[in-house]
Order: sequence, then C-alpha cells, then structure tokens
Amino acid sequence: MGAFDMMHIAGSGLAMHQTWLDTLSYNISNVNTARPTSQNAFQAQYAIAQSVQAPDGSGEGVRTAGIALGDPQGRMVYAPDNPLADAKGYIRMPDIDLGSQMSQLIMAQRGFQAQTAVLKNAQDVYSSALSIGKSS
Amino acid sequence: MSIPAIGAVTGTGFTPYIAKTLPVDGATPASSLAGADALTGTTGAGAAGQAGGADFASMLSQGMESLQGLHSTADSLALKASTGDLNALHDYTIAATEASVATQLTTAVRNKALESFNEIMRMSV
Repeated sequence: MGAFDMMHIAGSGLAMHQTWLDTLSYNISNVNTARPTSQNAFQAQYAIAQSVQAPDGSGEGVRTAGIALGDPQGRMVYAPDNPLADAKGYIRMPDIDLGSQMSQLIMAQRGFQAQTAVLKNAQDVYSSALSIGKSS
Repeated sequence: MSIPAIGAVTGTGFTPYIAKTLPVDGATPASSLAGADALTGTTGAGAAGQAGGADFASMLSQGMESLQGLHSTADSLALKASTGDLNALHDYTIAATEASVATQLTTAVRNKALESFNEIMRMSV
C-alpha cells in the first residue's frame, strides 16, 4: 500500500476506459466496412475488463484482460452494385449494432468522467491531510 | 500494474510520512521521561539526541531522493506529452499531481521540523 493508491487505482480505471473508448471508436469507424464473401467480415472489438487484486486481497484497480472479437461471419448483404460483391451479388458487412455501440460509448465516457471525479476527490483528500496542523 | 509509467511511479513511491523511520528516542512519553532524566545527567543525553538527528536527516534525504524520482518521472512524461509520444494523458496528469502533492508534503515536514527546532531554541533555560 502506498500513499497514492487512490490515484493509481483511478489511473488504472482511466486506462481501461480509454481502451474501451478506443475499441468503440474503431468499431464505429468500421461500421460500414464491407468485405467480399470470400473473406471474414470486419470483426468488432470488445474490451474485457478485469479487476486487479493484491495477494492480500486489497484492490489495486482494473485492467484490460483482453480484446474479444465479434462474429467473423458478419451479415450477408445483397449489394450487386458494390465492387466487392460476389457472383450472386452478396458482400459481407460487419455484425455491429450501431445503437449498442453508441450507448456503450456513453457508458465508457461516463465511466471515464467518474474516474476523473475520483481523482479530483483524491487530490482534495491529500490537500486536506496536508492542512492538518497548519496554524492559519 | 499494467501501465508502465504508473508502475515506475509506484517504484519510486514516496514513503517518508509513514513514521516507520521516525521513532526517535523520546517520542513516547515514557522514553521522554527517560530523556528528562538524561538531561539531569544520569545518562548521556547527547548520544540519544545525535541518534535522533541522524534518523531525521536520513529520512529527509531519503524523502528528497524519492521526490526527485517523482519529479523526473513527471518531467519525462511532460516531455513525451509535448513530443506527442504520450499515449495516455492521465499518465502525465497523475504523475504531475503526485509530484506536486509529494513536494507539498516534504515542505510541510520540513516546516514542522523547523518550527519545533525554533520552539526549542526559544526555550529559556
């Protein structure tokens, strides 16, 4: 345990949320990425959060345990105009629900903001501890 | 920790406030009584005082070293931020906050020590 654990733990939360925001940004930017049917569709990325504990059981924060990938099959879409379409006129579109991605984006943003609030609070805690015993 | 920069900061953690190295002879009431006895000449008061001074000096220099470590971490992160190599903004802001709080803490310790020294100097014998 160190003096600045509160800030370090909040920092790990910020890092995890940033990874999450990165994956969401990647997914949303590729929501219209078509692939030919001979290839896998664009696979959405999903950050997996995992809590981190010290051997003595005290919490040390959160980390990104890994990135899960979406369905490689995607959605078969009939689009004969698309240059990538196969002989039957089909392409593979990513299996991403834009609405779900946008709501996750809000969740990730709110989580990030909550972590910064924790950081601000930690700063207040430290400065009030420093003011103990000050005459003025 | 998964974040290397924060891990590095943890490595140079600022610890002197944890009064582990503090127990100067005479800190507890019982031993301060013993110190008063020493002043009257029963035992060597000078030796105890010197040991306490050395403890405080080593504690302070240790604190300064870890403070310097914190500042250099914050500085290198600031350099990364200005060159665009920083991949997480909060790494820098956290390191900078930590360095600032640690500096305030060190000056508070120093001020308190100086204050008590002056108080002792003002004592009329």
